[in-house]
Amino acid sequence: MNDLGKKLTKMAFEDLKADYLLVVRQEHGDLAPAFISKDEDVGEVRFDAPYQLVTVLSRIYPHIPTGKIAIVSRKCDELAINELTKRGILDEKRIVKIGLACDGHTADKCRCPDPKPSKVDIGEPVKGIPEDPLVAKLMKMTLEDRLKYWVRQFKKCNKCFGCTANCPVCFCENQCVLGERTLVSEKSIPPGLAFHLVRSFHMSDKCIECGECERACPGDIPLLALRRMVHADMKEMYKFVPGDPKTVSPLLTTLEGEVMEDEHNVC
Amino acid sequence: MSTMSVRHVLTTCPFCGCGCNFYLQAVGNKLVGVVPDKSDVISQGRLCIKGYNAHAFVQHPDRLIHPLIKEGSGFRKATWDEALDRIVSEIKRISAKYGPDSIAVFSSAKCTNEENYLMQKIARAAVGTNNIDHCARLCHASTVAGLVYSFGSGAMTNSIPEFENANCLLVTGSNTLETHPLIGARMLRAIYGGAKAIVIDPRETALSRVAHMSLHQKPGTDIAWINGMARIIIEEKLYDKEFVETKTAFFDEFSKAVSEYTPEKVEEITGIPKDKIVEAARLYAKSDKAMIAYSMGVTQHSNGTEIVKALANLALLTGHIGKESTGVNPLRGQNNVQGACDAGALPNFYPGYQLVANAEVKSKFEKAWGKPLSDKVGLPMTVALQLAAEGKIKAIISFGENAMMSDADITHVQKGFERLEFFAAVDIFPTETTKFAHVILPAACYAEKDGTFTNTDRKVRRVRKAVDAPGEALPDWKIACELGKRFGAPGFDFKSPSEIMDELASVAPPYAGISFDRLENEILTWPCTAKDQTGAKILHVGGFKIGKGQFALSKHAPPAEETSEEYPLILSTGRNLFQYHTGTMTRRSPNLEREAPEPYVEINNEDARALGISEGDRVRVTTRRGSIAPVARVTDRILKGVLFIPFHYAEAAANMLTNPALDAAAKIPEYKVCAAKVEKA
Repeated sequence: MNDLGKKLTKMAFEDLKADYLLVVRQEHGDLAPAFISKDEDVGEVRFDAPYQLVTVLSRIYPHIPTGKIAIVSRKCDELAINELTKRGILDEKRIVKIGLACDGHTADKCRCPDPKPSKVDIGEPVKGIPEDPLVAKLMKMTLEDRLKYWVRQFKKCNKCFGCTANCPVCFCENQCVLGERTLVSEKSIPPGLAFHLVRSFHMSDKCIECGECERACPGDIPLLALRRMVHADMKEMYKFVPGDPKTVSPLLTTLEGEVMEDEHNVC
Repeated sequence: MSTMSVRHVLTTCPFCGCGCNFYLQAVGNKLVGVVPDKSDVISQGRLCIKGYNAHAFVQHPDRLIHPLIKEGSGFRKATWDEALDRIVSEIKRISAKYGPDSIAVFSSAKCTNEENYLMQKIARAAVGTNNIDHCARLCHASTVAGLVYSFGSGAMTNSIPEFENANCLLVTGSNTLETHPLIGARMLRAIYGGAKAIVIDPRETALSRVAHMSLHQKPGTDIAWINGMARIIIEEKLYDKEFVETKTAFFDEFSKAVSEYTPEKVEEITGIPKDKIVEAARLYAKSDKAMIAYSMGVTQHSNGTEIVKALANLALLTGHIGKESTGVNPLRGQNNVQGACDAGALPNFYPGYQLVANAEVKSKFEKAWGKPLSDKVGLPMTVALQLAAEGKIKAIISFGENAMMSDADITHVQKGFERLEFFAAVDIFPTETTKFAHVILPAACYAEKDGTFTNTDRKVRRVRKAVDAPGEALPDWKIACELGKRFGAPGFDFKSPSEIMDELASVAPPYAGISFDRLENEILTWPCTAKDQTGAKILHVGGFKIGKGQFALSKHAPPAEETSEEYPLILSTGRNLFQYHTGTMTRRSPNLEREAPEPYVEINNEDARALGISEGDRVRVTTRRGSIAPVARVTDRILKGVLFIPFHYAEAAANMLTNPALDAAAKIPEYKVCAAKVEKA
């Protein structure tokens, strides 16, 4: 166990009274997610691989019925946890966060505007990147050129579903909208434009811009930029930003209070 | 509160030859998911859809959970002792009556190196025959035969990451983005970074659509366009004169042999416009980092070995070999097809490609294994199955081979199985083939055992146990040890796969430096001949171990079966992205089955129109050997006159139709060309 490991196990199991701890550690020469209980050795803890630990947790969580889980959370993990607890996917009382401030290299790589968690337990906070340079470049293009750019990028999609599999706020499991045949045919690759657009709109009130979809894409499609461009609209039109612990998605609230004129009409 | 045990177990993907590493997530003994490995040199934290679903079939309720013995028309549960004793007594009886060469052992490219080593040891040291083979016979047998002639080694000459730095990619007979997605991803990176790709395939593929040149040859005409390119390279003096003079042999004969392949003649044979051949030849020859990648579209022909040699000729001519991002790269299909060959599961090679026919090699292995060995080269799997139908092969022990789906002309293969006096099958699921077994043994799958797979770029990668095998199922290496001991052969007392690897390393020079200890923290690539080396990333640097690279005089020849009035279309078979081979694993994985649930035939728009066939129609596809009824996918992405059917679907098995004609040297069947007709069902 290294020093960071000692610090984290003390924090998780003594200070926060957690039953489990989720971290990244070095194992077999590689960087591995590790979900340990109090009596296990946490090993050589590392933080230089941006695993989205909330994604790692989301598949284990349904199989762990009780106990408190301490999770090392970057700012993006924190936002994802907010989004999932708000929607009742995770139980707020069972999750405790150990705040990790990302380093400058990680913030650069993720083009992250805000790499500092609400409470910093480890790491030295750095300033974020105020504007995604790729988004800025794309916004300067004509609509026509922008479409051409994306069509060329989407030609690299080989339907691995890595963008959903690695997404911390994708929770539809076996009811994934991308399995809906009228939107996405089962034929070979690349899938049509609908695949990416349907996912973009579907994620527009959940995506917390962690960029894991982009990092997981074998085709290097800049999916984070696509998400950000959709979100700019969400923010402008509905004043809504996913990841806020309280605000509910505008997609669920816009009809509230409005008269449902045709409510009793039979179609 | 009692806590649950949660593990993330680093292992190697069980599907294609890319050899991506990932973590299996297990809670207690339940597999719950797959997490990509961000630090993996191959996958870089990315996977394909099969990788993400590699946990899904493992704990499926259909798994075989105890040994079975045939009784009447069904099977009854048996103990391990009874089942193993039955196999050994039957094989001994048959061997005593007809001789050991009446028996064949099939190992499996899905199994580990250690297991394949033991399976060939059972055949050779316990049964006493070199009749050991596996499904490499059906995929890259022609590569081994061809590239061993040309370069002295049948392996990929470069590593997977090198694809992204090439500036010319010549890809033929490989639908790389579907069949080797993470290699395809490297190619995409090269192409989007400005590299020029030439894709030559009868079908339009996801890769060809972003390539600089996408050319479509009539199936079965590859040697013509390859020789055509060689002719232009020689005629325009674009070849590497110094390389040819110092590193190669038979240039003059070669030069003369290809001179007849004029662009006009090539266009006539292949259908590729003549100016395109010229352009492709110039592009390949003039690029300084040019990589050839190919797969089954090249190898699965009745002259597959000759096509492989012809491709190798191009690299010899231009000196495009033995350098960074420059070489000839056969992309292996199965996760461990490279390793199964390395471990000696071939009828003509001992482990490490040491010839069975060489008396010195034989005596080395007799000393190592403490048994007299046969000097007779064994039978390839395809030939053994044909001889079974003739009553000359009497018994087969098969580890994981689903021949009733994967071999050409299944109707004939079935005759072979029906005629066997004894057939023992080891598998993880009941298959179309295990139906014919007298004894079935339940095996552990990749997630339930330790070992190594060798991927297509020769990296020896660890497989680690994540969960317990279901019921009484055992890992194949334990089954092989039990069988070996019961045959009374020495050298089957292994306590772990690590010990087996140590023995493999002691007899196979390319693996001499490899051990489980080292694999804990090091990336090892064969040839790795000493404990202080990590192995050769690039083969043939500075020249060829066999002295000189050899030009071959490959000639265009028509396929074994040509179209006729009754069968006017050419049928080609292969894989799709979502299913894998005979579907045993992927069709039990809900997310994969969701994407490709139904057998289909791809047919060109114009052909479909002429036959009155629309998208989604049920059609009947017939060849001289059989008939199946898939649905039609009408598309302009396949050449007119050509059909494509994936071979994953038992309910419309493509191999009911395929031609069992074999390549003379490699005995690989011609899966890529046979004559067919289509009608509305």
